[in-house]
Amino acid sequence: MITSIARKEFTEIVRDGRFKWTAAIMVLLLLTAMLAGYQKYNTAVRIQHAAQAGSNQQWLNQGDKNPHSAAHYGNYAFKPAGPLSYFDNGISNYAGTAVFMEAHKQNFAIGRPATDQSAIARFGDLSGASILQLLLPLLIIFLGFTAFSGERESGTLRLVMSMGVTNRQLLWGKALGVGTAVLIVVVPCILIGAVALAMADSIDHAEGMGTRITVLSLAYLMYAGIFLFLTLAVSALTRHARTTLMVLIGFWAFTGFLMPKAASEISKYTNPTPAFGKWMADMRAHQLRGFDGTPPFVKFMGYTKQLLKEYGVSKPADLPMYFVAVRLQKLEEYDYPVFDQHYGMIRDAYAEQLRVQDRLGVLAPTLPLRSISRAISGTDSIQHVKFMSDAETFRRNMVLKMNDYLSKASVHLNATFSSSNYMRADEEVFAIVPPFVFEPPKLSAIITEHRSNFMLLALWLAAAIGLAVFAANRISLESS
Amino acid sequence: MLEAINLKKTFGDYDALKGLDLTVNPGDIYCLLGANGAGKTTTINLFLNFINPTSGTARVCGIDVMADPLETKKLLAYIPEQVMLYGNLSALENLRYFAQLGGHDYTEAEYKGFLTRCGLQNEAVTQRVSQFSKGMRQKVGVSIALAKQAKALLLDEPTSGLDPKASNEFSELLIQLKNDGASILMATHDLFRAKQTGTRIGIMREGRMMQELGTEDVSHADIERIYLEHMHGDASRHAA
Repeated sequence: MITSIARKEFTEIVRDGRFKWTAAIMVLLLLTAMLAGYQKYNTAVRIQHAAQAGSNQQWLNQGDKNPHSAAHYGNYAFKPAGPLSYFDNGISNYAGTAVFMEAHKQNFAIGRPATDQSAIARFGDLSGASILQLLLPLLIIFLGFTAFSGERESGTLRLVMSMGVTNRQLLWGKALGVGTAVLIVVVPCILIGAVALAMADSIDHAEGMGTRITVLSLAYLMYAGIFLFLTLAVSALTRHARTTLMVLIGFWAFTGFLMPKAASEISKYTNPTPAFGKWMADMRAHQLRGFDGTPPFVKFMGYTKQLLKEYGVSKPADLPMYFVAVRLQKLEEYDYPVFDQHYGMIRDAYAEQLRVQDRLGVLAPTLPLRSISRAISGTDSIQHVKFMSDAETFRRNMVLKMNDYLSKASVHLNATFSSSNYMRADEEVFAIVPPFVFEPPKLSAIITEHRSNFMLLALWLAAAIGLAVFAANRISLESS
Repeated sequence: MLEAINLKKTFGDYDALKGLDLTVNPGDIYCLLGANGAGKTTTINLFLNFINPTSGTARVCGIDVMADPLETKKLLAYIPEQVMLYGNLSALENLRYFAQLGGHDYTEAEYKGFLTRCGLQNEAVTQRVSQFSKGMRQKVGVSIALAKQAKALLLDEPTSGLDPKASNEFSELLIQLKNDGASILMATHDLFRAKQTGTRIGIMREGRMMQELGTEDVSHADIERIYLEHMHGDASRHAA
C-alpha cells in the first residue's frame, strides 16, 4: 500500500515541470560548488604545503646566529585545510590561516581570506554545505507542498479518502515518494563530489574519513527529513496549496537566513568579547605586573638566589650554565600563565557565544546542522583553537630549545657577560626544533563535543514526524 | 446494502439532516431527489465517513460506518459529480493507483478490460487524463468502482453536465452493476434518468425524506408532479 502511494507520488512529481527545473538548478549548483570547492581545496593544500616547507627551510637557513636570536627570527605555522573543507568551508574565511611564532610573544592568526574578498562574499560561500543547508529544504518544499493541500484543492483527496486507506499510510507513502524524488537529485551530486575528492592527488588524509562522511550524510539526511515531514504536516494542516507554500517559505527564511544572523547577534550581546585595544593593553600590563602580582624581575631575583644556593656558588658567573640564557627562558616562562589567561578569556567567550547559538537551535534546525557540518568537516572553531594551541606549544618548545642550547653551549661566556661575545649557532643547531605538525582534534572528541547538537537535530526530526502524523490524522473533509 | 437509521447532522445552527431513514437493498438503484441543500450530499458524506453524524447510524452491509470506517470504505465505491483524477497520470495509472488504494491489484490487461468495459476508447487508456472530457473521467470513475468490487455505490450527481449519449452510457453501466447485485445510492436532479434507471426514488427536502416511490408504480409525469408538489411545500397532505 505504502509503496503504491509512494510510486504514484514519485511519478507525479517527476512528470511535473516543477521537478525538471528545480532538479536542474539544484544539480547545476551542487556540481559547481563541489567542483569549485575541490579546485579551491587542491590549490589551498598545495599553497599550505609549499608555504610550510618554505618557512621550515628559512628557519634552518636563517644564517649562523645566536640561538636566542634565532628564536626571535621565528617560524610560521600554516593551518592545513582538511579534505572536507571543500564541502564546508566553515569559519576558515574569517579565522586566519597562519601564525607567526617568535620569542616572547604569542600572536593571533593572520591571513583571513575574507579580507581579500569583495562585498559579494557576504552572501556566503557557494559550497556544497551551504547549498544543502539552504537549497535542499527549498527543493523539498517545492516538491512536497501540494502533497495534501494540492489534492484537497484539485478534489482527488475525496476520492483517495473514500478508498479505505488510513491517513497514516497516506502520510508514509507520500513521505517515501517525495523523499525518493529529492534523493535522486541530490545523491548523485554528492557521490560525484566524493569521487572527485578520492581522486585528489594532494590529500591530507584526515582521521576517519569514512566515519566523517557517514556522520555528515546522516546529519544532512536528518535535516532533510525534518523539512520533508514539516512540509507534509503543513500541507495536511492548510486548506490551500498557496497557504502551504507561504507558511513553509516563511519558516525556511526564518531558519535559514534570519536565525543564523540573529543567533550570532544575540550571542555577541549575551557574551561580549573585549575590545581588541583594551584587551591588548590589559595583557601587556599584566605581563609587567606579573601574573600573581610579583613583577617578573623581582621573581627572577628570588629564583637567582635559589639557584646560587642550589649550586653552592656565590655569584651567577660561577653557575654551570649560561646565566643570560637562564634569565631569558625564565622571563619567557613567567609570561605563560598571563598568555593562557588572556587568550583563554577570548577563547572562552567565543566558545560561550557558540554555546548560546547552539541553544537557539531549539528554534531553528539549521543552527545545529551548521555546527555539526563545520565540526565534522574540520572547519569549525574547535579545529581552529586546536591549531592555535598547537602553534603556541610549538613556539614555547622552539624558544625553550634555543635558550637551553644557549645556556649549555655558552657556559664559558658566563664570566664575560658581553654582547660582543655571542656564540653563533648554525643549521645543525636549529634542526633540534622539529618541524611544526598540526594534530587535528580527534573525531570522537568532536562528536562528543556536539552531542547536544545531534540531540537537537534528532528532537527536531521526532517533532516534525509527530506533527506530520498529528496533521495527517486530523485531515477533515468536513467542508470540502 | 446501505442503511440510514434516524440519521441527523447539524452544522452549527443549521440542521442539514433531520432524522433520515433509508434502506438500499442489493439490486436497487435508489435515486435521491431534492433541491440543493436538501441533504443529499450530506447523506453520501455520512456513508463515506467524511463527516460524523450528530446522531443516528449509517451502515454498509450491516457494518456501522462510525465503528469501522476503513472496513465500510472497502465495501463502498464513490463517484462524485466531477471525478477528479491525477492529470499527469494516464487513465490506466489512475485506475491502478485507486485500485491499489482499495486493496486490489490486477494485471495490466485486466485494468484495460475495466476501462474498455466502461466504454473508454482503447487509445485513451494510456493517455494522460488532463485532457479528458467529463464523460471520459466519469468512465474512469466507474472503472475504479468496478475494480474495487464494491458492494455499494454512492453517486453524487454523476450525470450532471454529461451529454445525452454519455449520460445514457453511464446509466447502462449502472444497470450492469445493479444486475451484479450492487446497492446503488445516487443523488440526482435528473427526474428522467431517475425514472429510467432507478428502481426506487426518494424525494428529500430540508433534511427530511418527504416521500419514497417505486419507479415501476409511477409514470414520468407523476414523478415530476409529485416532486414539484413537494418543492412547493403543499404536498405533505397528499403524502402517506
